[in-house]
Amino acid sequence: MTVSTTQRRSPLPIGLYASLLPPLIWMSLLYFAPIALLVSYSIWRLEAFDIVKEFSLTNFQVIFTNPAYRTVILRTLGTALGVTVIDILIALPLGYFIAKFSGRYRSLLTLLVILPLWSSYLVRVFAWKIILGYNGILNTALLSLGILKEPSQVFLYNQFSTMLTFVHVWLPFMVLPIITAFERLPNNLLEASADLNARPWTTFRRVTLPLVAPGVLAGSINVFALTMGDFITPSLVGSPSGIMLGNVISSQFGVAYNWPLGAAFALVVMLLVFSGLAIALKQGALESL
Amino acid sequence: MRQTLWQHFRTALLISVLSITSVFVSTFISSAPAYAADCTLTAIVWEGYTDPSFAQTFEKETGCTVKATYAGSSDEMFAKFRAGRGRTYDIVSASGDITERLYKAGLVRAIDTDKLNNYNSVFESFQGGKWNTFDGKPYGVTFAWGPNVLVYNTDEVKSAPTSWDVLFDPAYAGKISLPDNPMTIADVALWLGKSDPYDLTDADLAEVKAKLLELRPSVRKFWTTAGELANLFQSGEVVLAHAWPLTYTQLSNEGFPIGSVGPRGKLTGWTDSWMISKNSRNEDIAYKWIDFILSGEGQKGVIEVTGYSGATTLGAEAVGSERAHELFMDDLSLHSQINMWQSVKNYDQWVQLWNEIRS
Repeated sequence: MTVSTTQRRSPLPIGLYASLLPPLIWMSLLYFAPIALLVSYSIWRLEAFDIVKEFSLTNFQVIFTNPAYRTVILRTLGTALGVTVIDILIALPLGYFIAKFSGRYRSLLTLLVILPLWSSYLVRVFAWKIILGYNGILNTALLSLGILKEPSQVFLYNQFSTMLTFVHVWLPFMVLPIITAFERLPNNLLEASADLNARPWTTFRRVTLPLVAPGVLAGSINVFALTMGDFITPSLVGSPSGIMLGNVISSQFGVAYNWPLGAAFALVVMLLVFSGLAIALKQGALESL
Repeated sequence: MRQTLWQHFRTALLISVLSITSVFVSTFISSAPAYAADCTLTAIVWEGYTDPSFAQTFEKETGCTVKATYAGSSDEMFAKFRAGRGRTYDIVSASGDITERLYKAGLVRAIDTDKLNNYNSVFESFQGGKWNTFDGKPYGVTFAWGPNVLVYNTDEVKSAPTSWDVLFDPAYAGKISLPDNPMTIADVALWLGKSDPYDLTDADLAEVKAKLLELRPSVRKFWTTAGELANLFQSGEVVLAHAWPLTYTQLSNEGFPIGSVGPRGKLTGWTDSWMISKNSRNEDIAYKWIDFILSGEGQKGVIEVTGYSGATTLGAEAVGSERAHELFMDDLSLHSQINMWQSVKNYDQWVQLWNEIRS
């Protein structure tokens, strides 16, 4: 009896494990191994241009005690959260309209949302330089309308231009999950809410929002993680005193050859993103109950 | 129908294979040296220093191949050179900020200048330069350099500035640009009158930081590449910048109203030297290569590709007096005024200070 059971069962687990092997190798090589390397570099230290392979927490001490690096961490977090919130505020009405009212133009409108992703990220960032610059489109327009007497410098190379560029380049990553979430929202629930005399705002707050929340959270994870790790936008359109974590990391791996400190910074970014992810998952799970 | 399609395809395939083979074969034949190329010179260099436009001449003359790896930063160059204990690369085009590090790590050997026919043409102020001479012996041969100068828009800045103080002029506030590089700290130290801008104490660094913080509100943008800086000038974002002569050359070639001055006595610059690995197995070829780069043809090649200044009188002759003047190759008094980049002992602190300025 037992023998026949094992005989019957044994082919299944082997096949199952065998089919798990390729993705496991793939994940180990491309994900776990690099992370293990990153962690080990972060606890080593640089001494006289040599990487000393001994356990030490010097790097983390530097990161958290140096006021300049603390400022950078807070600025990066603030920017990422701000960009996420603004993208949610833009994407909610847009997603609602596309999913519920665009009718046969829905695929066309969705395509228009995705369209910017087909051009290079760099091109989109540069476009903002051209629009906001000293001799840029915005200044030229304001001059010809007589609103400004001479070109203004306030539009480019500051926190505003950084946020604006981030909000624009990451917007599709927020809109797409929200469209999907609205599409899944049954119209009759909204009608039922109205039939029960709920005001539109109440319906939105108590029916719509909880049901699209997983989509909003999915989009937020995208936008938050992308902003946290980026260094190109702040270096192209950012303020002269507005570097973000990505810039610090790239300088540690580049000009400074302080790989241990760079790895420690990269780990800090990953931990921040993962904690954001954990909060979002927890919230999402609660909301979808 | 299928058959004919397949036949067309086969013909096309055959033609392409044949043409690729013929291109390959003809390239091989034309570039094949007079005798068998069993010698290879391996180098780690800045991009452009082994450009085929002139390296091919060397390869034809000597029958040796030059195999180069490009480095993205001085520190990367140092790390890669050291990784193979100097066996991976025969030579390195070290800038003055890592030459001493390479010497101290025992990775390079002293240069026997007698083996270089063109050594006497190296500008005198570059022979025995302190950035590549250690224990009284030359460990490197200078072949390219550049001063860091003040570049300005001649339409906006009417009279040529004579001092770096112009960067603090309120008239140009919000219209200046500085290099996004911790080495800029050395320049600020020079403006503050420090005698050795590469050996700064904590107190000196605090002074530099205060000066940079004073300047920061006036900075429109920190530039990272020469192309970006040219763009900043052209779009009217900046009118004054701390820059390389390369930017001046690029912009004046395009007819942009641009001027360049080197305020006396307060200039930094960088010098690149060829250094030979202690464990090089191709010493003779390394000497031949260095000699070639010092020659008129080699210098002209480097200058044309990179836009940097050359370091030999043969080079100055080869590019002509006008170009030599543009690249400060005739004004020898300028050389002695430049504090060339050197190793910085507390570079970690410099990087941290730079991050503080930027945050």
